[in-house]
Amino acid sequence: MEEIRGQVKEDKVELVVAGRIDSTNAAAAGEEFDRILEGVTPRPLYIDASDLEYISSAGLRLILRLRKNFENITITGTSSEIYEILDMTGFTQMMTVEKAYKVVSIEGCEVIGRGANGTVYRIDGDNVVKVYNNPDALDEIQHEREVARLAMILGVPTAISYDVVRVGNSYGSVFELLDAKSFSKILAQHPEKMDWCVEEYVEMLKTIHGTVVPEGKLPDMRETAIGWAHFVKDYLPEEAGEKLVSMVEAIPHDDHMIHGDYHTKNLELVGDEVLLIDMDTLAVGHPIFELGSMFNAYIGFSELDPQIILDFQGFDHDTAQEFWGKTLVEYLGTDNKAVVRSVEDKARIIGYTRLIRRSIRRQGLETEEGRRLIDHWKAELLQLLSHTESLEFTRNELDIEADTDNLDAVLAFVDERLEAADCPMKAKMQIDLAVEEIFVNIANYAYRPNKGRAVIRTEVRENPLEVTLTFLDSGAPYDPLAKEDPDITLAVQDRQIGGLGIFLVKQTMDDVRYEYKNGRNILTLTKNL
Amino acid sequence: MEIIKTAEDKKLAVEVKGRLDTTTAPELEAALKESLEGVEELTLNFAELEYISSAGLRVLLATQKTMQGKGEMIVTGVNDIVMEVFEVTGFCDILNIAK
Repeated sequence: MEEIRGQVKEDKVELVVAGRIDSTNAAAAGEEFDRILEGVTPRPLYIDASDLEYISSAGLRLILRLRKNFENITITGTSSEIYEILDMTGFTQMMTVEKAYKVVSIEGCEVIGRGANGTVYRIDGDNVVKVYNNPDALDEIQHEREVARLAMILGVPTAISYDVVRVGNSYGSVFELLDAKSFSKILAQHPEKMDWCVEEYVEMLKTIHGTVVPEGKLPDMRETAIGWAHFVKDYLPEEAGEKLVSMVEAIPHDDHMIHGDYHTKNLELVGDEVLLIDMDTLAVGHPIFELGSMFNAYIGFSELDPQIILDFQGFDHDTAQEFWGKTLVEYLGTDNKAVVRSVEDKARIIGYTRLIRRSIRRQGLETEEGRRLIDHWKAELLQLLSHTESLEFTRNELDIEADTDNLDAVLAFVDERLEAADCPMKAKMQIDLAVEEIFVNIANYAYRPNKGRAVIRTEVRENPLEVTLTFLDSGAPYDPLAKEDPDITLAVQDRQIGGLGIFLVKQTMDDVRYEYKNGRNILTLTKNL
Repeated sequence: MEIIKTAEDKKLAVEVKGRLDTTTAPELEAALKESLEGVEELTLNFAELEYISSAGLRVLLATQKTMQGKGEMIVTGVNDIVMEVFEVTGFCDILNIAK
């Protein structure tokens, strides 16, 4: 049973098509369309499909026929099923089709987060809705959903929005987020959990930074930062300005993912899973850009006004300082003060450049308070520029194809770090042996019969001096430690070939650990030097 | 890695210099295979061997097994680091290590 109504207006035609349109009534429906549209000159045609339950190909052919006279057709209020039919048949490419959006009320709902482009409310035990400030946010929402999907496919744990709804005059994205607690809240309420927070926070950060993004999918942070540098250059003495621009331009292009706004409010603990949210600033670029925005989040923005961090994150300046310091140490894999300080200085250069531009573009130079802040940031920036030559830093991680041909490169990478730490010769040999054993195992077996990648991370801690090596691969789950030790007392004819390598590793390293987490084999070796 | 072979009658002296690892062990394996026929005394001179990994150990074990019953295999010039590897893996008991 179908119902077709229509209203012809001066600037458009509004049709309502309800019920079912199939081969039994398509002809009659067609006649009804003809009757309503007789003599009507071409103008935008809107079809309200809110109550359309079903449309068969006969019905679709009717719409195509309408299109002959009415080029500009918009179908609104479709159910998911009808939308899918229209999408599958290519109609969504030929005309505008808008799905019906469920209406959601946020009255009485708890605000669990406020960001630059929207506010997040908890609507029930399982779900939250992010309501966008911009009433025309559909494109924004679409972008964020695509980016979140891309991140998820690439292996970054994030919450996916499964529905778009109408909230008052705005749109909202609904996420399933049961029992979630942001890391900001954990830090504020449980300061004793700081070290655990840092660990999880940096682990997620390394996952993000270790993700290669196919070309063109995300914006290039280097381009953006070069823009910032050019803008700020005009407000600095000539030489300093030139230096800033050339240092940013010298940062190589990097197609690894960066979050762009990686602060503790964007990391949620859901049950015992850690999820990344707020994906609309995702980009690709060198990690120094990320460290720059992180510096701003914890220090930069609130340097002269500690109330800001308290308001924004919920924890105080001292906590922020401690968290930032520990994060750097964990991320860089060293507690050497000079190394950490040098990287922090580079992050601050990016950070202050951004703050200065942001403030000036918001009329910062027109208020006394604004000028005070800008002068402070400029002074800091000039100081930093005077003693920094490059914005790059040595990563403590090597991401390489797991192939025995690359063994030398892996050993060279590890040996360089060991030499920098003044590692004694004997320990270096033992570590090289361990690296060879583990890496060759990954190259030969992890992805068999295919090929894959391995990540080798080195961390050096002083007082007492110790080196930790971590091997990560995304191959078949395999615990190399589970292998039984060879019986080394057997006579030569009974000795087996296998198991020697890992046995050597276990004997010569001070600590060996294995875990399988988030689809990756993680083997960690520690040697006291 | 460098391999220098000196054959004299039924004796074969093989000097191995450098590193015996995953990439170089197959070379040693091949070098021994082609020269071991009829050898009754094999001397492996490790005076300039800096490093040995499990790949190298495997070649040693396989060679030792081959020589078992056919003749003698002697390993000489072993440095402290390589010696430790032999000790940890019990190879010091199955190899004939000369000072």
